[in-house]
This record gives sequence, structure tokens and C-alpha cells, in this order.
Amino acid sequence: MSEIKVLVVDDESDFVELFIKRFTRRGFSVLGAGGGAEALTLLKGVAVDVVVLDVKMPGMDGLETLKEIKKRHPTVQVILLTGHGSVKSGIEGMSYGAYDYVLKPFSLDDLVERIQSAYHRRALVGGGSGA
Amino acid sequence: MPDGGGLLGPSGPLAARSPVWPLLLGLAALAAATAGPWPGLILALAAGFVLWWASRRSAGALRRAREESCELSEQLIQSQKMAALGELAAGIAHEINNPLGIITQEAELLGLALEPVEAAQRDGSPLAAAFLAELRDGIGEIMRQVNRCSDITHKMLNFARKVAPVCQPSDVNRLVEDMVALVEREATKQDTRIVRMYGELPRVTTDPPLLRQVVLNLLNNAMQALERGGMIFVTTRAAEDGQIAIEVRDTGPGIPAAHLDKIFNPFFTTKAPGMGTGLGLAISQRIVVGLGGTLTAQSLPDAGAAFVIRLPATCGGEGERRHGAADQGTGH
Ligand SMILES: Nc1ncnc2c1ncn2[C@@H]1O[C@H](COP(=O)(O)OP(=O)(O)O)[C@@H](O)[C@H]1O
Ligand SMILES: [Mg+2]
Repeated sequence: MSEIKVLVVDDESDFVELFIKRFTRRGFSVLGAGGGAEALTLLKGVAVDVVVLDVKMPGMDGLETLKEIKKRHPTVQVILLTGHGSVKSGIEGMSYGAYDYVLKPFSLDDLVERIQSAYHRRALVGGGSGA
Repeated sequence: MPDGGGLLGPSGPLAARSPVWPLLLGLAALAAATAGPWPGLILALAAGFVLWWASRRSAGALRRAREESCELSEQLIQSQKMAALGELAAGIAHEINNPLGIITQEAELLGLALEPVEAAQRDGSPLAAAFLAELRDGIGEIMRQVNRCSDITHKMLNFARKVAPVCQPSDVNRLVEDMVALVEREATKQDTRIVRMYGELPRVTTDPPLLRQVVLNLLNNAMQALERGGMIFVTTRAAEDGQIAIEVRDTGPGIPAAHLDKIFNPFFTTKAPGMGTGLGLAISQRIVVGLGGTLTAQSLPDAGAAFVIRLPATCGGEGERRHGAADQGTGH
């Protein structure tokens, strides 16, 4: 099986750096972006399986970014990540096609598993960067 | 009997053509002729009893069969109705989305056009300041209302979307707990306690993001029913045939009997404008049916409302599967 390609999007660069370090160690191939617009630009050029997306970002927020990602790359799976989850944003996120909605702080093992299931779904719907 | 399917009707088990009649009559006659009056009477009575028993049995089976086929055709009609409604909703939503886009752009342009006035304000013109404040206010309101409209059109499109489940092995207890955890903070703020009663569940294959959407919808409704606080009981349990059941029950005001058969209709809402669009349960039921299960509601007077999701061991949408990219949201 080829490596699972993950894109992490968060306006806190410390978080992105740490994420890349930890998940690379777990065998994922990880890219980072500091915001929604940057993520969309990246997705144009690079095949990604799973996007881990912060909900609360200045400028283009997580839900807007999610909408655009699902519009342009419907088989890419998006996991929303949030420090202060609200029911409203959860409902909105799920209805815009997010795969999962995860509250911060998260455990590494837990998120690893969720990324793997998201990747599994991506393979089922006929996407997949390795294909 | 209103139709030809009755006990004695042309297709019933005791129809004239049926071999049961000559058999029983012959048996009674034979008994009376060969064995004297008493055993003959007994045999005839026994034959009569068998006849009575057989007719009761087949009547029961028939009634059940008719009920089942009724339910099935009702569900079929319902899903056809929903599909037609969905198309209508999608058509309207698309039509409304275009002008909404233009309104948004114009409002943004108006904002830009205000720059010279801003310059005048910086130069100290009180008139410009008042004018600006008023206009910014107006533009803000336009944007808020546009957002409200697009929220509704988004939900309409979500309702109209074909449910095309992508099935994966899933840990449903964990999935339910995720949604409970998401709701819990806001629940605590409104004095609502969530009681978890998770049973041991067999592993099922289902569509996790679709199921999350449903569970979250039910929890959200329960929260809205408990504005003044109360309890939400979230139960999961194994059911017959490897099925599972998820129940969300609340101690709110419940649902009046007259509403019970309407709450799953699209756009049925008892909530104030802006609070509810009446699409949550319609979407949820479509999803659950698409997963091969059922979503039902119960309400006892003054005992709150209960919603039960039943799911099969393996998810299967009947005829709702689409090929290829079955996996998009409906934000457009
Ligand atoms: N837990 C509940 N308690 C009482 N009434 C409920 C509950 N859940 C749903 N309802 C009723 O069903 C209606 C439809 O619900 P729904 O489809 O979710 O739309 P909305 O929440 O936008 O009104 C609600 O307006 C309400 O009258
Ligand atoms: Mg609702």
C-alpha cells in the first residue's frame, strides 16, 4: 500500500509543524498549509487523500474551505478539527460532506485511526493518490 | 373482503378449486359409513376442527402478508414522493442561489464604493460619518439575510441529494459518543444532562459521516426541546438479526399526537423562523432509509420524545446507490 497523503491546515504554524513531525513519524506523508486559500492552491498541484482542517481560521474559515474542497475534489476526505466545537458548526460541517469532526485536544493514536478510516473511504469512492 | 385475496376468494387457500374440500368431506363421509355414527361424528368434528384451525392460520398469514405489502408500498410511495419533492426543492434552491450570489457581489461592491466617503469622513465631515454608519449597517444586514437564505437553500439541496452510502466497518458506540461529546458542552450551558447507556454492539458496516449527521440532528432537536433544561438519554443496543438500535430520548415537552406523522415531512417545523427549517428529520429519515434502516419517533404525553434509529448489520441502500463520485457534500 502506498503512503497515505495528508494535508494539515491550521493558522497556527506551531501546530502545523508539530503535526507534520508527529504524523510523518507515524508513516504518513504530510504537507502543511497556513490557511484555506493556501490549502486550495496546494490541492491543485498535489494529490492528497485526507485533509485535516481547523474550523476556526482567520480569512477563509474551515467551513468555507471544506465547501470549496468538496466542490473541487469530491473524493478527498476532510476531517474537521476544532478547539471549541459548536453543535451548529458540527451540523454544517457534516452536511457539507466532512468525514469526521474531531475535538482538540486529540490523542495521536485516535487521530491516526480516523485518518486511516477516512483514507479507506477515499479508496471506496474511487479516489486515492496512489491509484 | 374487499378484494380477491380473502380466505374464500379466487386465490385464497379454501377456494373452490382447493383440494382441501373434497379431502375433508370424503374423510367425514368415509368415517360415517364405515365406523357407525359415534366415531364418524367424532371424525367429522375433528375434520371440522382442522378446517377451522387451517382457516384461522391462513387468515393470520394473509393479514400479515397484506400488512407487510401495505407497509412496503407505503414506503415506496413515500420515497417516490420524497424524490419528487427533492427535485422541486433542488430546482428552487438553484434558482435562488444565483440571485443570492449577485446580491452578495453587489453588496461587496457597495462596500468598496464607499471608499471616497470614508476619505471624506477622515477629513472630518460629520455628514459622511453618519451616512457611512448607516450604509455599513444596511450592508451588514443584507449579508446576514443572504447567509440565512443560502443556509436554507443548502439544506434544501442536502435534502434533495440522493443518499449514496459508502459502507465501512464502524464502531457505532464510538461514533455516537463523538457526537454526544460535541453536544455536551452546550448541553451543560442550558442545564441539560446527557445520560449515556451504551450497550455492547456487534460491528456493523455503515456510512459513518451520514450516521454522524443523523445522530447530531437528533441530539440537536433534543437540545432545542430542552431549552429550560432536562435530560437526554442516549442508548445503543444490539437488536435481532445482527441489527443495532440507537435511541435518543429527552424529557422535553414531547410531540403532540397530531404532529407525529408530520414531523418527518420536509419543511414541517414548529420552531420560530430562523430557528428551524423543518428539514432535519426529513434529511435524517432519508439517510437512515438509504442505509437500509428505519428512523421512528415516539412521544408520550408529558414524557418527552424518543427517536430510534435501527440499522442492519450491513448497510444497503435500495436503488439509491450511485456510481462513481458518490461522496460530495451539497454546498453548491
Ligand atoms: N426531541 C423533540 N421534542 C419535541 N419535538 C420535536 C423533537 N424533535 C423534533 N420535534 C418536532 O419535529 C419538528 C421537525 O423537526 P426537524 O425536522 O428537525 O426540523 P426543525 O428542527 O428545523 O424544526 C420540530 O419543529 C418539532 O416540532
Ligand atoms: Mg431539527
